[in-house]
Amino acid sequence: MEQCESVEREVDKVLQKFLTYGQHCEQSLEELLHYVGQLRAELASAALQGTPLSATLSLVMSQCCRKIKDTVQKLASDHKDIHSSVSRVGKAIDRNFDSEVCGVVSDAVWDSREKQQQILQMAIVEHLYQQGMLSVAEELCQESTLNVDLDFKQPFLELNRILEALHKHDLGPALEWAISHRQRLLELNSSLEFKLHRLYFIHLLDTSHWAEICETFTRDACSLLGLSVESPLSVSFASGCVALPVLMNIKAVIEQRQCTGVWSHKDELPIEIELGMKCWYHSVFACPILRQQTSDSNPPIKLICGHVISRDALNKLINGGKLKCPYCPMEQNPADGKRIIF
Amino acid sequence: MAVQESAAQLSMTLKVQEYPTLKVPYETLNKRFRAAQKNIDRETSHVTMVVAELEKTLSSCPAVDSVVSLLDGVVEKLSVLKRKAVESIQAEDESAKLCKRRIEHLKEHSSDQPAAASLWKRKRMDRMMVEHLLRCGYYNTAVKLARQSGIETRPEALQPGRGQPAGRGAAGHGHAGLPAGHTHLPLQGPAGPGPVEDADPAVPVRQLPAAPAGEQLRVHPHPAGRPLGHKDACYKEDGSSRSPDCPVCSRSLNKLAQPLPMAHCANSRLVCKISGDVMNENNPPMMLPNGYVYGYNSLLSIRQDDKVVCPRTKEVFHFSQAEKVYIM
Repeated sequence: MEQCESVEREVDKVLQKFLTYGQHCEQSLEELLHYVGQLRAELASAALQGTPLSATLSLVMSQCCRKIKDTVQKLASDHKDIHSSVSRVGKAIDRNFDSEVCGVVSDAVWDSREKQQQILQMAIVEHLYQQGMLSVAEELCQESTLNVDLDFKQPFLELNRILEALHKHDLGPALEWAISHRQRLLELNSSLEFKLHRLYFIHLLDTSHWAEICETFTRDACSLLGLSVESPLSVSFASGCVALPVLMNIKAVIEQRQCTGVWSHKDELPIEIELGMKCWYHSVFACPILRQQTSDSNPPIKLICGHVISRDALNKLINGGKLKCPYCPMEQNPADGKRIIF
Repeated sequence: MAVQESAAQLSMTLKVQEYPTLKVPYETLNKRFRAAQKNIDRETSHVTMVVAELEKTLSSCPAVDSVVSLLDGVVEKLSVLKRKAVESIQAEDESAKLCKRRIEHLKEHSSDQPAAASLWKRKRMDRMMVEHLLRCGYYNTAVKLARQSGIETRPEALQPGRGQPAGRGAAGHGHAGLPAGHTHLPLQGPAGPGPVEDADPAVPVRQLPAAPAGEQLRVHPHPAGRPLGHKDACYKEDGSSRSPDCPVCSRSLNKLAQPLPMAHCANSRLVCKISGDVMNENNPPMMLPNGYVYGYNSLLSIRQDDKVVCPRTKEVFHFSQAEKVYIM
């Protein structure tokens, strides 16, 4: 916020300067033109009468010339003075924003750039369909010569049709859809059909429920389709936005302190990125002893006492054929440990 | 929105992403300022020249007629100066206002109203997408998307094939006008000449980041695949652990994220497969005799006649057979 405000301050100053300069410029030139106009009128009348140029007029003329020169030169130099304010804007931007997005990804990660681009393009098309931007998606398919099969598109086309109707306050298509999917909606414990009927009756009295119904419909329809409400691309993008500065910082610190060893492990990020609880899609178990994520090759094991550690940790704790739980020193047989699946 | 971005996080991201958003209109401002200065200097020197001529004539007892005509010349030059000055100032003022509008848009990210903030995030994504599409050469799609998303562009700012800094300008019209910020794309128009250049140093763009910013859209899904806990779970052969909400499990991103590094998790986070809720002291993880773990609350909800059916293996157990597990 501070960054934006800092730049904004400079821009405001420049705008103010342009304003005052503009007004001043126009005004002084107006005055000058007016003054010269008057002089010219006098001269013209003198010309008409056939009188020669009088000494006073000549003097006034010279003064006028001087005045003109001074005024216009001042205008030019006043404008030049604004330059420093303008360049301060640029400096504020340079100071507050990073000009380089250093690559935190090495391109070598993918075998072929084209293939990667293609997959990305596909993801974008899917995202556009999900957002209801059908014409944009079509255009992209055309321009990138991607083929999207109809079965993929179909549900989105239908969803979109119903949503558009809802936006126009037409409950018909939504009701039809809800009735035809009644069984599955009930399995989901969804109250969509009820809400639609209710809205039908009360919408004449209370118009505040339309937004809610759109949301409910979208959520339930996506559940039925096995989709998430937010497209994968937008969630990824948002995570990337959170992760990028963190990773860049770490990279900078690593380079600065020259301890490149810290991020040599290409299989894992060096730091945890906080995305919030809604992004916990899968369970993660980190062994409390070895501080490592468990995996298929190193699964979590439940000991008899109920505590859970990774298999590698368990093996490390075996002493003379017996095992002592590190949390409640209960002796047990290593073989009694049970593999669990979250 | 699934991903929670705190104000501090948004601020950090802004710092990293939005340099071009502001720098491009600034460069335009600078350019116009210089053009204005040049115009004013030029017209001023014209005026000075005719005035000098007039002064010379005055010193040699001229006829009134010649003075009048010279004066007319002065008036004309002064009028030209006035006109040019007004035009130039208008142009530079316009570009300063564009800078201001963009900053105001950026400031929206920290708006108190959640609707405004999430609209901002959506526009941010659309901005990056338009950028990416332009870099790929999909000009029509980019324009359509920009229009539909309300990040209008001024037609002359988005010239294909001109090879000029085509920074996308802001819309002139009202709030919806949002500028997609970015650098110059020597865009290739629909039937343009030659291949699209990657917006690289190849482009004679003054002082703008060499980093192909289309990297941005590429870079984002990348770091993303990672923190999203791209884990074994997303890549199990039988797809048994797929979660419909997890982006890395989705078919398109699954392939994309595969070669990427995994997320780093120092602490356990357990999620119940039945409800998607977190398992902690309020919803303790319970292990069924087959080794599968679910949240206590979920087991309660699927309990029927004191029995539960494991959703993954379909085995039937007694509710009392579930054992509590302790996660430190």
